[in-house]
Amino acid sequence: MNIIEIKDLSFSYQDEIQALSNVNLSVKKGEWISILGHNGSGKSTLSKLIIGLLKADSGKILVDGVILNEESVHDIRRKIGIVFQNPDNQFVGVTVEDDIAFGMENLCFQQSEIIEKIKEYSKKVDMSDYLKKEPHALSGGQKQRVAIAGILAMKTDIIIFDEATSMLDPKGRASIMEYIKEIKKAGVTVITITHDMKEAVLSDRIVILKEGRVIACGETNDILNDKETLNSSNLELLLPLKLQYLLDEANISNDKVKDILWQLSLNK
Amino acid sequence: MKNIIIGQFIPGTSFLYKMDPRSKIIALMLLMVSTFILSSVSHILIMLGVVLVILKIGGIPVTRIARGLKPIMILLLFTFTFQIIFIKTGNLVFDTDLTLTYITLPIILLIVIFWYFTKRYTRFKFLYLLITVFGILTLLSLYNPGSIISSSHLEIYQDGLEGAFFIMIRLIIIVTLSTILTLTTKPTDLNLGLEKILKPLGIIRINAEEIAMIISIALRYIPTLLDEANKIMLAQASRGVDFSEGKFKDKIMQIISLLVPMFIISFKRSDDLANAMEARSFVPGKRRTRLHTLSWHNIDTSVIVFCVLVLASVITVRIML
Ligand SMILES: Nc1ncnc2c1ncn2[C@@H]1O[C@H](COP(=O)(O)OP(=O)(O)OP(=O)(O)O)[C@@H](O)[C@H]1O
Ligand SMILES: [Mg+2]
Repeated sequence: MNIIEIKDLSFSYQDEIQALSNVNLSVKKGEWISILGHNGSGKSTLSKLIIGLLKADSGKILVDGVILNEESVHDIRRKIGIVFQNPDNQFVGVTVEDDIAFGMENLCFQQSEIIEKIKEYSKKVDMSDYLKKEPHALSGGQKQRVAIAGILAMKTDIIIFDEATSMLDPKGRASIMEYIKEIKKAGVTVITITHDMKEAVLSDRIVILKEGRVIACGETNDILNDKETLNSSNLELLLPLKLQYLLDEANISNDKVKDILWQLSLNK
Repeated sequence: MKNIIIGQFIPGTSFLYKMDPRSKIIALMLLMVSTFILSSVSHILIMLGVVLVILKIGGIPVTRIARGLKPIMILLLFTFTFQIIFIKTGNLVFDTDLTLTYITLPIILLIVIFWYFTKRYTRFKFLYLLITVFGILTLLSLYNPGSIISSSHLEIYQDGLEGAFFIMIRLIIIVTLSTILTLTTKPTDLNLGLEKILKPLGIIRINAEEIAMIISIALRYIPTLLDEANKIMLAQASRGVDFSEGKFKDKIMQIISLLVPMFIISFKRSDDLANAMEARSFVPGKRRTRLHTLSWHNIDTSVIVFCVLVLASVITVRIML
């Protein structure tokens, strides 16, 4: 069943440039889908349209079978959590714990539950020693962790991460990726937005955006084998992929690579 | 500069810290009203005594209060002078002629110029100003050679002196009381307390929760914006703008070069922040639960009872006398 259906969606900001044109996309319940694209390709715009922060010029969006419009927008937002790109501008609370609590307060969680969840999720993102800290005393990556904890604690059916790990160190990023796998197992639908292919290969499906258009959409393996599309997407390719393409270009078969490697190891 | 917003609070453990912000605000109101009702010097001195006892038990250093009084020094001085000069009832306690002559005028100008250029070298600027003013007055009253430019009469009456003293103490008490509140209550708690107290205003369609939300966002963003201003100033300074020197016109240009980027950043920020709040299901005016709630203890009741008693006795004294 599709939890998100996007049909013929187009959008432009005040200027004439089309930020999104005729986007069609469906997200299955419980899957992990990556939206890949270069800077300015419209990824953040798409996520803002999905939660109704921007209003589409044409086309429609269905979330859980409900059409997104002015009446349904509040109910739909209760089902979707989104971690935004800029950690500075999404810190609402005066302290870390206030910020993690903010979403839960809006969803009317009981006070005891809020306190419990703050403990649980601040631990998950490794911020439990900072609960009373104010945002200007935190680093960018720490603010990002707080934002992630605040969204996870809301326990929404769908979570969108808009380059939510861009400021995390490799260890922090790996632990968030582990955690995404975990919540996916629990049935949460995850959308990660990134221009880092290393992150995208972990997901079930990949959508590639380029200049506001979907240029590819499919199973992760199929997309990785689609050399033409990847090359035209302006994305930085993964090293193994690059190597494979170079070998293909030089017309070197896998058997020959094996031979060469064998000889190299003997000569040594 | 950050201290304006967040540095006021000093951690502690006295009874003032155990109190609910609501009861602290109400107690403050009661004591302030009492202070305003009092009308004689001896009574207001008793009130000052009460406030000092609160400071003592509350474990608040008097030096912190003195720092809080600093900004209102000018106001204090102004009301003091005003009272002394313009109230002319009661016994005459002091009487002198002030005479300005062609010889004292340049001397006074010299003193003022000397004061103006040396005041930056002393730590006790206010005291220095007082001494200078007092010196000029002494000069005017005692030394008058040469032909006279103008002459006036300075009379100080008992009522004027008492009135000046009275008003000064009253102002000091009021500032001290509010400083006690801000020193012992975290901004977030103060905000929550205000929100709860203002809740009844909902009847006249003033939404206390929204006001509280605005204040808390301001609390959260002012330090960030100050940081930003600092960054911009550094960036400008590295391109040769000098923020400390320059003529008035240059100063204006410098301020504009700071304000324009500040405004643009703030608009972008507030737009993003509004998005982030809405995305987390915030709907203005809609019911939401709270992480922090307030709880009323016995200490709150006793303090309020005490303050009500103070107010009651002040009213009784006022009616009886
Ligand atoms: N608030 C805005 N006003 C006008 N134009 C905008 C605004 N936000 C984005 N755009 C434009 O819309 C296009 C898509 O922007 P968007 O932020 O969706 O890109 P993105 O894929 O998220 O990029 P990035 O990887 O840098 O985050 C860009 O051309 C951008 O210049
Ligand atoms: Mg983006």
